[in-house]
Amino acid sequence: MRSQLLSDSGEIGKKYNYARLFIIICFLILVGRLIQLQIVYGNEYRQLSKDNFLQKRTLDASRGIITGQKGVVLAKNRIAFSVYITPQFFDEKAFEFLTSLLELNQADVDYIKQKILLAEGRKREYSLLALRDIPKEWVMIIESNYDQLPGVNIISQEKRFYPRGLLASHVVGYVGEVNREDIEKYKEMDYRARDWKGKYGIEKKSEKHLRGKKGFVWRVLDANGQVKTTDSALRWLPQPWKKDPVSGHNIKLTLDTRMQRALERSFKNYESGAAVILNVNNGKILAYLSKPAFDPNEMSGKLSASRAHEIYSSPLNPMLDKVSQGTYFPGSTYKIIPAIAALEEKLIADEEYHLCKGWYEFGRNSSFRCSHAHGLMNIHSAVVSSCNVFFFMLSERVGMDRMSRYAHLMGFGTTTGLSLNGEKAGFIPTKQWYAQKFQEGFRIGHTLNSAIGQGNVKVSVLQLAMVYALLANKGHLYQPQIIQKITDGQGVVIKDFKPIVKRKINLKMQTYDFMIDSLRGVVNDPSGTAYKSSLHNLKIAGKTGTAQVRAMARDDEDPQVSRWRFQDHAWFASFAPYDKPEIAVVVLVEHGGFASKAAVPLAMKIYQTYFEMNNN
Amino acid sequence: MSQNYGKFYLRIDWTLLLLLISITGLGLLNLYSASANVKSPMFTQQIYWIFIGFSSFLITATIDYRIYKKYAYLIYVLGIISLILVLIVGMAKHGSKRWLIIGPMILQPSELMKIAVIFALARQVDAAPPKTDAGRTLKELIWPVVIISVPFLLIMIQPDLGTGLLILLIFFSIFFLLRLRLRSIITLASSLIILMPLIWTFVLKGYQKDRILTFLDPSIDPIGEGWHYRQSIFAIGSGKFFGKGFLSGTQSKFHFLPAQWSDFPFSVWAEEWGFLGSTVLIGLYMWLVLMCISIAKNSRDRFASVISIGVGALFFWHVIINIGMVMGLLPIVGVTLPLFSHGGSSMLTFMIAAGLIMSISSRKHSFE
Repeated sequence: MRSQLLSDSGEIGKKYNYARLFIIICFLILVGRLIQLQIVYGNEYRQLSKDNFLQKRTLDASRGIITGQKGVVLAKNRIAFSVYITPQFFDEKAFEFLTSLLELNQADVDYIKQKILLAEGRKREYSLLALRDIPKEWVMIIESNYDQLPGVNIISQEKRFYPRGLLASHVVGYVGEVNREDIEKYKEMDYRARDWKGKYGIEKKSEKHLRGKKGFVWRVLDANGQVKTTDSALRWLPQPWKKDPVSGHNIKLTLDTRMQRALERSFKNYESGAAVILNVNNGKILAYLSKPAFDPNEMSGKLSASRAHEIYSSPLNPMLDKVSQGTYFPGSTYKIIPAIAALEEKLIADEEYHLCKGWYEFGRNSSFRCSHAHGLMNIHSAVVSSCNVFFFMLSERVGMDRMSRYAHLMGFGTTTGLSLNGEKAGFIPTKQWYAQKFQEGFRIGHTLNSAIGQGNVKVSVLQLAMVYALLANKGHLYQPQIIQKITDGQGVVIKDFKPIVKRKINLKMQTYDFMIDSLRGVVNDPSGTAYKSSLHNLKIAGKTGTAQVRAMARDDEDPQVSRWRFQDHAWFASFAPYDKPEIAVVVLVEHGGFASKAAVPLAMKIYQTYFEMNNN
Repeated sequence: MSQNYGKFYLRIDWTLLLLLISITGLGLLNLYSASANVKSPMFTQQIYWIFIGFSSFLITATIDYRIYKKYAYLIYVLGIISLILVLIVGMAKHGSKRWLIIGPMILQPSELMKIAVIFALARQVDAAPPKTDAGRTLKELIWPVVIISVPFLLIMIQPDLGTGLLILLIFFSIFFLLRLRLRSIITLASSLIILMPLIWTFVLKGYQKDRILTFLDPSIDPIGEGWHYRQSIFAIGSGKFFGKGFLSGTQSKFHFLPAQWSDFPFSVWAEEWGFLGSTVLIGLYMWLVLMCISIAKNSRDRFASVISIGVGALFFWHVIINIGMVMGLLPIVGVTLPLFSHGGSSMLTFMIAAGLIMSISSRKHSFE
């Protein structure tokens, strides 16, 4: 009885071995999983666990400051606060609280809802930009209510600020947030989302200098996003765990802000145009105006679509740099080219006179006219009173290609090398060009038109200024410069720009002297086209130009705008003093009408200011 | 009716004792690290619980197991009463009523109920050996099924899916090891399969279904449970072969592990001690479980045998489910790691269970 009970006591019998096997297999499965997690994928999980609590935070570098020649700040940085939200910790309750706390408008509420509350997956673990550049009061309100706003963070970021507003905005330019394209295109710059990048002017041209180098710091964060970087946590940080950012280089422009302001003031009666003032003895630009200007603070901020449309579709074209990017018919300011060519090639004598009856007898066509009948003209008086008929005659003698050659020699038809805002080369036509371009081929009429800066001749304001400067300094074609000096954050000079002579132009001295004297006559002789509206004590030499505009009528246009668009451009290209030249001034008043009425008085005001400033 | 208890040559099972002390010690060490930068009296609490637990172990081990047979049903009934009490005056936390407050202690009667169920099943089986050599028929299983059904239902009302599941697993473990008719096995197995969709529809709460769904397809992750999973797996995997070292687990130090003290202590352990430490711990548990069924096989009567299988199953399923869960092999269920997890009821339950085994193991050599 007892032995029977013993044998059956556990009832387990042969199942015992199966049970052992089952137990061992189950435990081996656990060990197998351990092998998979800890040995096969151990490195990956080690990295993932590091990514969990180690966060590399980028330290932004301050963007370099842009100043004028005398140190007036044109672009600097200010602190802006933005609200970032980590969706993982941010709930509906916190959202409602934030909404009522700041009395958010519907657009902001929708934006936050769209971007943050609806974020999915891993995105929930990263902080996302919710409100950009918030007012200071909001910062205080949010900080004093942090405990009720889980997942909400305020991050301060430097933002570009232009204290002088529109002053020289085409030179200074503006910045904008990088887009995906920028990040792809400029890989070497290592842009990240939300970085700023120069989009116009010096901000764009000198991006590499201004930007600086980012730093970083590794931080230890716990699962709740709280920073735990203590001394004892340092052992988990990679080495080096910190690198300070390097500020961008500061840029000092050649611009004299007083001259710039004077120039902008003198232009106040005209809506649209351009002007440049430069030192004829080194090519450095003192003032640079393209009108209308844009507001760089507005352009760097959050531009609404409707406002952007308004700016970009304006007939006044504020985003075009009319000094170097816009090209125009130079009109009579171009007459120096056939004159120089004829003098150099000995095709005209000083005492050779021609009669101007008010029109040029040329084939059947009598459309080649003068402003009025000038009577007997020699080359000097033809420049002084801008006689078209004389220059029609002269250009026939010089010929299209010779005229073109001299134009190129003096610097037309190629960029000046300022390399700002996509500078344009303009255009100087040749016989061959006409032969290829037009079915009827080259005609003498093309030469006549070119001689007076019409037809197909296109120059920029800056080119014209460089050519007049080279006449003034008798042969030095400078490369125009807008940057004086680049220094690093500590003030150490990185680059100090010396004047660059692009080309020495060896015309005969008599040619230079003759041209300077003729240009003096334009302003100072009673028969000169600029005489009546000029100041005669400042020793100014220059040439007026009234360029016809080739415009197409548009049906959808306001007739008032149409009328304005069909008016001539008014030019005045000049330098002073003519006996010891210092500066060149070129003014273009778009659709300003007669040069002597619009452009000349404007230039006079500039000279007046310049000499007042420099005689004191 | 006086029962003749016979005389045993009492021999302490030192291996078993050493195993218990090792696991408990490692658990305490692990808790020290897991709670190192948390302002909570958890560690001291656990020392008290280990003290109480170990005392219970000694008392349970000292008493001759045959005395338990006498009081088996009484213990069972007391357990049922405590479960009913929980439903009436219990403390609710996280949406389920599981705890009783007795003086300074918070007890979870459902934990201790597992032992009461083992007692009752052992008593029933001991009194009713199979009628034929072919094994038990379904009819002979009616009483055991009744014994587990009452506490199972009471526990599922709380609800406590983990404990309910454990009671079912203990029941099946015992009866698959005992003699059952093939037909009974087939019927039980198929009824289990039929039962599963019913449990899914009528028993499981929304969050429990979500957990299972998340487990099957982590990309669904309707309540963010997947995050817990991932963090636990990161912790274990990042331990690599040698571990990050004691007190150096970043996943636990920086709170990436959820409820790391009660449900995820193994993740903390595996992170700091690596594959080496983890296999040692798993090895210790396997040894303990194998010892239990070896004791079951060699025990002198059916009551002792069933108790041993029950205790073995209790340890086995707890370990497999807990570790399987934290390693992402099983859905997340609140099942503790025996002698390792922080918590009084669990510690007490496993210490008493171990005491029972000790009591049986120390009395397998009679004088006769």
